[in-house]
Amino acid sequence: MSSNSQLNPGRRRFFQTTGAGAAVAATTAIGLPMLAVPRRASAAERLVVVSWGGTYRTAVEEALVRPFEKEYGISVTLVDTPDLAKVKAQVMTKNVEWDVFDAVGPMAMTGSKAGYWEPLDPALFDQKDLIAPMTKEAVPFYGFTGGIFWDAKKYPEGKAPQTFAEYFDVKKFPGKRTLRNRASETLEIALLADGVSPDKMYPLDVPRAFKALERIKPHIAKWVDQTPQTTTLVETGEVDYSYTYATRAKASQESGKPTQFSFKQNLIGLEYLVVLKGAPNKAAAMKYVQFAMRPDRQAALMNLHGNTPASKKARGLMKPEISKWLSDPQNKNNLLSNDAWWADHYDELTLKFKEWVLS
Amino acid sequence: MNARNEGWLYVGPATLFLFLVMLVPLAYVVYTSVTTASGDFSLASYQRLLSSDLFKRTLLTTFQISIVASLASLVLGYPIALHLAKQTPRKRALYMVLVLVPFWTSILVKSYAFTVLLGRVGLVNQFLSFMAGSSVQLPMLFNRFGVMVGMTNYLIPFIVFPVLASLLAIDQSLYRASEIMGAKPPRIFFRITFPLSLPGVAAGVLSTTVMSMGFFVIPALLGGRQDVMMSNLVDFYTRETMDWNMASAIGVILLGIVTLVAIAADQAKRFGSRPGVPA
Repeated sequence: MSSNSQLNPGRRRFFQTTGAGAAVAATTAIGLPMLAVPRRASAAERLVVVSWGGTYRTAVEEALVRPFEKEYGISVTLVDTPDLAKVKAQVMTKNVEWDVFDAVGPMAMTGSKAGYWEPLDPALFDQKDLIAPMTKEAVPFYGFTGGIFWDAKKYPEGKAPQTFAEYFDVKKFPGKRTLRNRASETLEIALLADGVSPDKMYPLDVPRAFKALERIKPHIAKWVDQTPQTTTLVETGEVDYSYTYATRAKASQESGKPTQFSFKQNLIGLEYLVVLKGAPNKAAAMKYVQFAMRPDRQAALMNLHGNTPASKKARGLMKPEISKWLSDPQNKNNLLSNDAWWADHYDELTLKFKEWVLS
Repeated sequence: MNARNEGWLYVGPATLFLFLVMLVPLAYVVYTSVTTASGDFSLASYQRLLSSDLFKRTLLTTFQISIVASLASLVLGYPIALHLAKQTPRKRALYMVLVLVPFWTSILVKSYAFTVLLGRVGLVNQFLSFMAGSSVQLPMLFNRFGVMVGMTNYLIPFIVFPVLASLLAIDQSLYRASEIMGAKPPRIFFRITFPLSLPGVAAGVLSTTVMSMGFFVIPALLGGRQDVMMSNLVDFYTRETMDWNMASAIGVILLGIVTLVAIAADQAKRFGSRPGVPA
């Protein structure tokens, strides 16, 4: 609040004087309801955004929250960890506290099916600028890049697998590997490895995917649940190659590790922004989502956390040393995850996958 | 009558508090487990669970891991409690802080440390290779052994403290008397120390077993693909598929089993402590 008034004195003073004026008017008119006025005033300038913790949070704060507060005079509360169960509880008890929600693909789609989100007005966004189409309730926020990661000191260029077909080729590239302990991503990787071309990926050929996974199963040292392990297992020499994300690989290299990440073939997943149904500050929430999708804001945020902006124009505005960590949109080997397809199959395939992993 | 009334005075506030924060939510969980999304009564989620291989296997693994981890912690924690009981109060206070060390680091950081120690090229394997003169690569991570290392590391304090309390409660004159009568240390341990520490052992084992059943992250980080715990399934139904019906049913079944085990343990303890043990 204090930094707010410093940065934008005109707007602040405007609010203060009108607020005080209204309060005086109200007290003289009715005599009592002092409380009602400040509450209404604060409701008009507040917003709750749910986002991920750690360095991600710092990046969102710096690139989105603070500039947004400055521009709109709306104070933003940033809450950690988007949890769909908490959304369900809030919507069920009609006690909605969150406004904007930062959701991974399957989460956004499950929430859509359950009716947890407000529809977004397509006019808020430049549709031609988006790397993937928006849905009725969710707009793609950025893409995260999955790919193969290895220790370059142990395996110089050419000695490590760089495409998923090579990742599944244990004769040419012997060694221990990792895969995620989940159906989404893993089934796609298996099909890419088995020679399915990215443009014919969906609907997934599930039996074929499991057959391919059966081949690689003995060589998977760890089915990773906790994302940090996708890089630490390579760094400690516990596995030879791992499936991880460009942002994790970037962090590993920046901490001085001799690791390498392949951009020859990538799986691109989408993160979405959604607004909760019955959000207390819906108007402000819509402004925030639109703001977050502006090319300059997209570039600023992605410069900090290294993901692929959902706005095509933002790419050109980014720092070159960060751009090298973005997936190549021209690469025909890359696959963009189809979250709408997953929305209809996620539950069933996750259970099937869990059973398969146990067997 | 009077004493009983007074008892309510002491226990009343805690009972009321627990009623509000424990029983009411618990009742809601039970209610959710037998209600469909539209609000009708149905046992469908129980039927689905009992016919699911995934659920049965996970339930079995959960019990195996919890019980073995608890017993392993007892084997490792009991001597620590015994040693602590023999210290002067000042030294004991210091050592007790050391027992709590495992709580000071997050499991994510610890899992990294365990990888460095127990990994295929980790310190333990390097040492064994050096001793054996050839390359040794014992698999100690991403299997049941790794899970046990991680879990005992966390559980030991929960064994040490109740056992220590039992040990400290033993009347010192019993030791003196048995020594005067010429008993050797092993005999003293098996006839006096161990039987009298059993309440602490029972409390420790029971609480660590029950705690282990809710573990999720340690098996996920250090275990293999088959070391899946029930909380993993609960998490899946609660946060991913939003099927709270199923999640609650799992919770109710787990709670039921644990309650039965606790009652059985209590009965066994009463039965076991009846003959011949000095009170």
